[in-house]
Amino acid sequence: MDAIAPVTQAEARALLRDYVNAIDRGRLGEWPNFFVDACSYRITTRENEERGFPLSIMLCSNRAMLFDRIEATEKANIFEPHSYRHILSDSEIVSESDGALTMRTSFLCVRIMQTGETMLFVSGEYIDEIVREEGRCRFRSKRVVLDSSRIDTLIAIPL
Amino acid sequence: MQTDDDLGQRVAWPPEGVARAPYVLFSDPHVYAREQAAIFRGAAWHFLGLEIELPETGSYILSHIGDTQIIVVRDGRGDIHALVNRCAHKGTPLVFAKSGKVADRFMCIYHNWCFDLRGDLVSVAFEKGVRGKGGMTPSFCKEQHGLDRLRVHRICGLIFATFSPDTPDFEDYIGPAHVANIKRVCGRPLTILGQYSQILHSNWKLYMENVKDPYHASLLHAFNGVMKMDRLTMEGGITMGARGWHHISYSKMTVDPGGEVYEKATQLRSAEISAYGFGLRDPVLTDVWDDFGDKVSLTVQDVFPCFVLQQLRNCLAFRRVRPLGPEKTELFWTAFGYADDGADRKAKRLAQANMMGPAGLISMEDGMIGALIQDSIQGDQDKASVMELGGRGIDAVEGSRASEGSVRGFWTGYRALTGL
Repeated sequence: MDAIAPVTQAEARALLRDYVNAIDRGRLGEWPNFFVDACSYRITTRENEERGFPLSIMLCSNRAMLFDRIEATEKANIFEPHSYRHILSDSEIVSESDGALTMRTSFLCVRIMQTGETMLFVSGEYIDEIVREEGRCRFRSKRVVLDSSRIDTLIAIPL
Repeated sequence: MQTDDDLGQRVAWPPEGVARAPYVLFSDPHVYAREQAAIFRGAAWHFLGLEIELPETGSYILSHIGDTQIIVVRDGRGDIHALVNRCAHKGTPLVFAKSGKVADRFMCIYHNWCFDLRGDLVSVAFEKGVRGKGGMTPSFCKEQHGLDRLRVHRICGLIFATFSPDTPDFEDYIGPAHVANIKRVCGRPLTILGQYSQILHSNWKLYMENVKDPYHASLLHAFNGVMKMDRLTMEGGITMGARGWHHISYSKMTVDPGGEVYEKATQLRSAEISAYGFGLRDPVLTDVWDDFGDKVSLTVQDVFPCFVLQQLRNCLAFRRVRPLGPEKTELFWTAFGYADDGADRKAKRLAQANMMGPAGLISMEDGMIGALIQDSIQGDQDKASVMELGGRGIDAVEGSRASEGSVRGFWTGYRALTGL
């Protein structure tokens, strides 16, 4: 069997770009498709990380939970309509092993309410582990570490 | 200047009493000032934090009671003190980190006055002056200039405090059933899983009304109704605390006679969602166990005015509410488990924590609903909300949570303390 080609930085950045574009353009149904089945997605805070607290604001420990979360967001949960705009920094490569690329990327996320009210919603860091599966790059792990522990109102749409 | 009599006229409470809440209470700055004096500085107990946040002598956390910052600190004898975070000299805060540790004293950064862990003033810089000149006036008495120290009560590792000498002892203040539930949920060594907070763009009372309102839980939070997490048809009830000021809402998810109303009654939103076939692909949120051996799968308990103890299945948390002016509130969450939880239970509690907090599958709407109300009542300050489910009084309806009696209980405590 041929070895799987390692994930390149250019491919990883393209995945990141497509991921935030899907969210920012409201295509939430695509969200689980950016992850492999045995995946992990977490939103936590810098303070919890530094104090060794394992709590997440949002936690999905496999792809089924990503589907459950987005279905709840679209069908069960109620919130004022809004959208995000993510701005990403350059990425820092943390490690490359067994074809997986781990990198850290800073982000700003602006929240736009349907009234037009626009605010800097959260800032933080993505710590992403990206692998190739069935010829496509996807996230095996995505940890969203927020700089602030104080969230304005609610987080309905994943970051 | 606005006098107390003026305030009484401004807040014209309708004759239906606690079955109404005048909208003016949710934005008037004079009402807010009255609450700070009568509730937050008054005869009520306020949650500050946990003993496990103060592991050693000198460990402290910065907490709040209303507008006032409170240092909570452990001294060398193991006693815990609640001290107003304000130097007796010029009013400078003594600490500004959320938590930390000092050796044996708090030193003010401004003029280096030092206070011991009980809040007593122990030294004043240049008290005797320099080279015999200057210094404090000879009549200055350090004993009279300590930090303001509050009464403290500890129960199962939870720390409460009150400014007022008139507040009843804590257990009398909440009543025996409410002491029993704190012991039920917190009677084993606790471990903190994590903390975060939420900004709510509404008056603090709109959030506390929401906490004390089991009526909305399966309606606003359709996830509850659809996923059979918490329905009014489940066996359950409301237990009122002393004087009706506090409540515990509880339910047993395994006992749900008549629950099909949530799928069939077309006036309920959960029935509309069921038509889409909403269901969970992953079972972790429903993979629950009976933590207390009593089949009670949900308890929401409050201690008037601002403390919440939550048991949503195995998702356990404390909530503390801090008003930030008449129209803004900060809600602090601490998720916890037990020190003897195995890795499996800890992982499941962390997964169930998806139900709570700003992204909570169940709680997220609570972050928004108050702000929506806050906006929509602005133009009608002379009107009032209507709460008549379960009557107009505060007596519990036996075996039923189809009642707003616990919300009326909040207003009963509110009126007693504020005199409004």
